[in-house]
Amino acid sequence: MNTHLLRKLQRKTLIPTQIAGYIATLLVGLAIVLLSLQAYCDLRPLLTQQTDVFKAHTVTVSKNVTMFKTANKEGIYFDDKELTSLNEQPFVKEVAHFTSAQFNTEAAVSFGGQTLRTDFFFESVPDEYLDVESSDWHWDSTANYLPLVIPEDYLNLYNFGFAESQSMPVVSEAMLSQITFNVVVSGNGKQRVYDSRIVGLSSKINSILVPNDFLQWANAEFGNSGDKRSSRLLVEFTDASDERIPSYFEGHGLNLSQNELESSKIAFLFRVGIMFLIAIATIIIILSIAFIVMSLNLIVQRNRNLFVNLYKIGYTPRQIARFYQTVIGIVTLCSIAAAATVALMTRNLYVEKLASLFDIDKGGSTILACAVISAIVLVPLYNMLILRMIKKSFR
Amino acid sequence: MSEPEVAGSDIYLRPELRFEQGKKYMVCAKSGHGKSSLLNFIYGINKEYEGTIEMLSENEEGQKSLGTHILSYMFQDLCLFPELTAIENVQLKNDLTNFKSDSEIEKMLTALLPAEKRHQPVASLSLGQQQRVAAVRALCQPMQFLMMDEPFSHLDKETAQKVADMVVAEVDRQGAGLIVTALDPIEMLPFDIKLNL
Repeated sequence: MNTHLLRKLQRKTLIPTQIAGYIATLLVGLAIVLLSLQAYCDLRPLLTQQTDVFKAHTVTVSKNVTMFKTANKEGIYFDDKELTSLNEQPFVKEVAHFTSAQFNTEAAVSFGGQTLRTDFFFESVPDEYLDVESSDWHWDSTANYLPLVIPEDYLNLYNFGFAESQSMPVVSEAMLSQITFNVVVSGNGKQRVYDSRIVGLSSKINSILVPNDFLQWANAEFGNSGDKRSSRLLVEFTDASDERIPSYFEGHGLNLSQNELESSKIAFLFRVGIMFLIAIATIIIILSIAFIVMSLNLIVQRNRNLFVNLYKIGYTPRQIARFYQTVIGIVTLCSIAAAATVALMTRNLYVEKLASLFDIDKGGSTILACAVISAIVLVPLYNMLILRMIKKSFR
Repeated sequence: MSEPEVAGSDIYLRPELRFEQGKKYMVCAKSGHGKSSLLNFIYGINKEYEGTIEMLSENEEGQKSLGTHILSYMFQDLCLFPELTAIENVQLKNDLTNFKSDSEIEKMLTALLPAEKRHQPVASLSLGQQQRVAAVRALCQPMQFLMMDEPFSHLDKETAQKVADMVVAEVDRQGAGLIVTALDPIEMLPFDIKLNL
């Protein structure tokens, strides 16, 4: 069918400023929603500590180091009475000990022909407190492989402090796990060299960890069978947000690693912030939809005579609606595409910074998926509304 | 309308009235007696009546194409589009039906309108000239019936005769029926049946 004349009649009924207003508001609202959702998906794993190898609801507990205790080291160890008391608290689910290495340890890494050596130390905790791939976290007395978990702060110290100031490349967690180095263990007149690799990071614990089995064995093999008391404990809570926790630990002169509590606060604020943004942007989108629907209604009311005459000479409501459906459909799709582009470009700004440090999906799949969903929802919705308005005008 | 008003009617309150394809009907009535309403009932754009109206034609295309393939209707208020020219008004209808060629449309309008008027917006035409455009438009479709609501009310006799001849030629060519309403009997059309409303 030749629609040239029909379009000529209908083109004059459009109100360009209102359509422009619709495009602008839909674009702004949708861009904010798309970006917020994408940012939420991108950043949530970083804030909910899924990168941490430690079980959730677990903190490390140590005694406060005071002037008195500096002189008399005995004061930093937990005695049996204290352990029993802690175990009996209703908010404590489980208490585990740290085991310290009682032998000498040295790490050696080759860097461009040079070998760097450093003394360091090991500790271990029961394996069930760690969430590391079991294939990585195994030790076998016959093999020469020794996995390590290091504090996340070490990596941050390097990336944000050292690498920044020395213009060195930054290292991501994935890259870090590729680096192998040697660990030399000695004591009791014996020495052994292990191939070592970092298999995980922890922000909750400031120590270098090895598998518990290894340390039990190595303490017997190389150790000086010194004291086996604990200066640090791992405490698992039933609920980390229990308000009795801070007062108990403060009252008993104990130190808590605050990370668990802090990060859940940050994650909460982040979630609230994103929700707030999405809510505001959703209101903008709803207003833009309401605005264009009212504008279309105005067009139909103003041009009722035209539509009725077209209908009387044989044009069907569908044929009359098609022009408006096409215009609004194209305008909506363009607006969605523009919003997706703006959101993707904005995302690229933060992804570039973050990708070198964390593993982020670079596709921006959330933005694209949401854009497609909005198109699938909005275009048929408008088609239906326009047809209904035109049919209604004939009554 | 009240019963005494329609007492002498050949149409209202009758048990059945049949319009036959191929025949020409004239429906006469004073103004306000429902001539337009009757045609609108038949065309399906006014449903404020009691009783039933049935189309007995064999129509494969269904109700949808009623206004473009079965019934052609020249409205009393003409239903022209004032911003379109005379030719465009006719073409707008022909776009739907693809029934006449551009040269046929041009030829029909030439017979009824001065050359300079054919390309002017209809808004600038006199009522009589607009009536001629509407008549030509009504001929641009396949039809089983042509309904014309007071088609010659603003035309002088000579022009009315020209329009009437063109209408009869098209209706006869298609073997269609014709229903024309008027205030007073019309002489320029060869009616088979005259009905009082």
